[in-house]
Amino acid sequence: MTSIGTGYDLSNSVFSPDGRNFQVEYAVKAVENGGTAIGIRCKDGVVLALEKLVTSRLLKKDANKRIATVDRNIGVVHSGLLPDGRHFVSRARDEAQSWRGTYKAPIPVSSLANRMGSYVQAFTLYSSVRPFGITAIVGGWDAETDVDVDGAVGSGPKVGAGGKTKGVKEGGPYLYMIEPSGLYWGYYGAATGKGRQAAKAELEKLKLDPKDGECISLEEGVKEAARIIYVAHEDSKDKDFELEMTWISAVNGPTKGRHEEVPKALKEEAERLAKAALEGEDEDEEKMEK
Amino acid sequence: MASLFNAQSMLDQPSYSFAQPTSHSEPRQHSFYPYTDNGGSTLGISGQDFAILAGDTRSTSGYNINTRYAPKLFKIGGDGPNNTGSKIVLSVVGFAADGRALKERLDTVVKMYKYQHGKDISVGACAQRLSHILYSKRFFPYYVTAILGGIDEEGKGALYSYDPVGSYEREQCRAAGAASSLIMPFLDNQVNLKNQYDASQPQGFGKEPLKPQPLSRPHVESLVNDAFTSAVERHIEVGDGLQMMIITKDGIEETYAPLKKD
Amino acid sequence: MNHFPQAWGRPRDDVYGQYNPSYLPQSHGGTQQPITHTQSPIVTGTSVIAIKFKTGVVIAADNLASYGSLARFTDVHRLKHFNRKSVVGVGGDVSDMQYLDRLLKSLDVEENYSTGSHTAEESETDPAMMGANNLHTYLSKVMYKRRSDFNPLWNALLVAGLDEKNKPFLASADLLGTTFSGPTMATGFGAHLAQPIMRRIVPDEAASQQLGREEAVQAVRDCMKVLFYRDARSMPEYSIAVIDEKGVELKEKEVLENQSWDFADKIRGYGTQTV
Repeated sequence: MTSIGTGYDLSNSVFSPDGRNFQVEYAVKAVENGGTAIGIRCKDGVVLALEKLVTSRLLKKDANKRIATVDRNIGVVHSGLLPDGRHFVSRARDEAQSWRGTYKAPIPVSSLANRMGSYVQAFTLYSSVRPFGITAIVGGWDAETDVDVDGAVGSGPKVGAGGKTKGVKEGGPYLYMIEPSGLYWGYYGAATGKGRQAAKAELEKLKLDPKDGECISLEEGVKEAARIIYVAHEDSKDKDFELEMTWISAVNGPTKGRHEEVPKALKEEAERLAKAALEGEDEDEEKMEK
Repeated sequence: MASLFNAQSMLDQPSYSFAQPTSHSEPRQHSFYPYTDNGGSTLGISGQDFAILAGDTRSTSGYNINTRYAPKLFKIGGDGPNNTGSKIVLSVVGFAADGRALKERLDTVVKMYKYQHGKDISVGACAQRLSHILYSKRFFPYYVTAILGGIDEEGKGALYSYDPVGSYEREQCRAAGAASSLIMPFLDNQVNLKNQYDASQPQGFGKEPLKPQPLSRPHVESLVNDAFTSAVERHIEVGDGLQMMIITKDGIEETYAPLKKD
Repeated sequence: MNHFPQAWGRPRDDVYGQYNPSYLPQSHGGTQQPITHTQSPIVTGTSVIAIKFKTGVVIAADNLASYGSLARFTDVHRLKHFNRKSVVGVGGDVSDMQYLDRLLKSLDVEENYSTGSHTAEESETDPAMMGANNLHTYLSKVMYKRRSDFNPLWNALLVAGLDEKNKPFLASADLLGTTFSGPTMATGFGAHLAQPIMRRIVPDEAASQQLGREEAVQAVRDCMKVLFYRDARSMPEYSIAVIDEKGVELKEKEVLENQSWDFADKIRGYGTQTV
C-alpha cells in the first residue's frame, strides 16, 4: 500500500495529504477477513444471517452464538474482530436501555443506528483509540401499530385530543449497516465480510424494493438468506462453517415482534434448499461444460 | 461548628458563617411501619447426641391465615440450594421476611466458610456468627427470635437461642414465638424438672429437687408433640402443621405431622 | 486573624451579615424539605386472587384503579404477562405497579439478550427460561430491599405460573417483603372474601393436584363475583389468566355473568344480623 512508510497511517487523528484516514481503511481490511454476514429487509420482517467459520474442532456445534439481541425487537450481526463486535453490542444494549429509561418505549431502529454510527465515528477521531474492526448490520421491527408506553395502564382516550388517528401507519421492518468509519445507511439488503461481493450480487437479484411491487416475504427471506450464505461460502469451500440465522417479524407475525433465532425446522429446511440450489448450479455448469 | 466555635470564646470575636449541619439531626417522620408479626411458634430441645428443632407451619397476618404451610425451620450450610449434608438447623419466628433474609445471610456465610477453609463450620462458630449478623442490624433489627441447633465438637446436641439483636446463650431447651409463654413453662417442668421433687422423700422444707437427666429421643419427640398440640388449643396463631428437624451425627431427619387447622 | 484556620479568608458576619444557607441542599446545611418517600398509596387496585390446579394456575384481578373511593380508571390491566411461564397480578398502588412493570420489561429484555427461540415447541425444554419461582424470588427481593430502605413499593403481588420443572407455582410478595405460597392465594379484600371460598374447593396441595382447569377457572370467576358483590372498590370487568404447559392465556375484558342481587335486600348490618 502506498501509505506504508509515509507515517500517515500510524494515527487516527492524522489525515494523509490526499485526505484519507488510513487507520479506518485498515479497519475495513479486518472486516474483509471476517465470515460473511447479511441482512435482508422483507415485506413482513427482517432476517439476519451469518457464516460462522469454525475455527476449531474443539468448539461445540451451535454454541457460541454470534448474532445478538439488543432490545426485544432489534438484532445485530457483525463481521470482523469479534471482541470489537461484543463491545459494539454492549454499547447498543446500553443505548436501547437508556432510551427506554427516557421515553418508556423501545428505541426505533433508525435512532439506534444513528447513535451507534456516532459512537463508532468517535473512534476515528482520537489518537488514543483505534477504529472498530467490524461492520455491523442492525435489523429490527418498529411497531407499526400504537404501542403503550412501558408500564402504561388502560387504553387512553378513544376520541378527541390524545386519541388515535385512523389509518396512519408507521414503523415496519428496518435494516442498517454501520461501517468502521461510522458511516451508516439504511438498506433493503446488506452484506459484509469475506463473501460480501457474491452476497451483494445475489441480494440485488431479490425483490426487496417496494417500488418494484410486492417484496419477498419473511419466510422467503429466510430461505434466500440461507442460500446466499452458502453461495458466499463457495470461495472458501475448504473451511467448515455453521449457519446462524435470526429473524424479526411484526407483532402479529411468527416472532410476535421479537428478535429470535429462526426455528430449527425452518432453518433446516432453508439449509436443505440452499444445498440443493448449489448442487443444481453445479450440475448446470457441468452440463454447460459438456 | 457549634462545638468548634464555642460561644464563650467567640463573644469578643467576629463571627463567621459556615454550613450548619444541624438540620440533619431532626428525626424523619414516617408513617410506614416496616414490620409485621407472622405468628407461629418454634421450640428446640437438645439431648445427649441429638438436637431437635420444631415449629408449626401456619403463617398469619392479624386474624388471617396467609398459608397453612410456611416452614420456619431451615437447614444451614451443606451443598447446593437444598443444603444436602447440612448438620445445622436455624429456626426463626416473628417477622417472616426478616427471618428469610436472616436465614439466607447465615446460609451464605456458612457456605463461604466451607469454600474458604475446606471444612464444615462448627455449631459454636456458626452460633457466634449468627449473633454478629443480628447485632449488625442493632438499630434496624431483624424482628425475629432465632434458635440454632446442631451437634457440637464433642458430639453432643447443641442448642443456641437468641433475642432479635443478637444476645445469645446455649441452653437445654427453648420455646419462641407466639406461644412461647405457653410452651416454655411446660419445658421448664418437663425437661429441666423445675418444681419436681422426689416423691419418696418426706414432705417438708428439706425436699430434694429432682436433677434433670438427658432425655431419650422418643421422649423428647413426644414432649414436642404434646407442647404443640396444647399450644394449638390455646393460641389462634399456632396450628396447621408441625415440622420437626432432628439433628444427629448422621445428618438431619425431617418430619411433618398435621395439627388442627381451626 | 485568629487561630481558626477554617475562618481565614472568609467573609465576616459583622461586615457582610449572616450567610443564608436555606437554599442549599440538606447535605450542606440547607433547610430544604427532607427526602420523602411513599407514605400511603394514592391510586389503587384491589384484590388479586389465584388457584393452582392439576397442570397450571388461574389468576384474576378486576380492571379498576380507584382514587380513594372514586372509581378513577376503569380499564387498568393488573395482570402482567412476563413470559410464557409466568404472570404477575398486582394489587395496591398503581404507579408502583407501573414501576414494577417497567422493571419486568427490562428484566425480560436482559433475559433474552442471547438469542434463543421462544416459539412454543422449542422453549418448552429450554432450561434457561426463567420460571415463575425465579421471578417470584426476584420480585420478593425487590420488595424487601425497598421496605428496608423505608421506601416501599406499596403493592401486594401474586406470581402465578410454572416453575423450571413445569410444575404449577403460586406465591405472593407484599410491601414488607413477606412471602408465602399455597394452593390458593388472595390479596387485599380477597383474603377475607375469596380465600375461604377457594379453600373450601382446594383445602390443600393434594386437592389442587386433583383439580381440573375448567373447575379452577369457574371457582375463580365465582370468587370475582362475590368480590364484586361485597368489595366497594371493585368492578364487574376483570382480567383472568390461565398459565399451563401450553403457555399463557390472558383475557383482559371479561365481564361478570349471571349476577344475582336477590340476597342484597335481606342483608342487615354486616350480614350476620337476623332481624
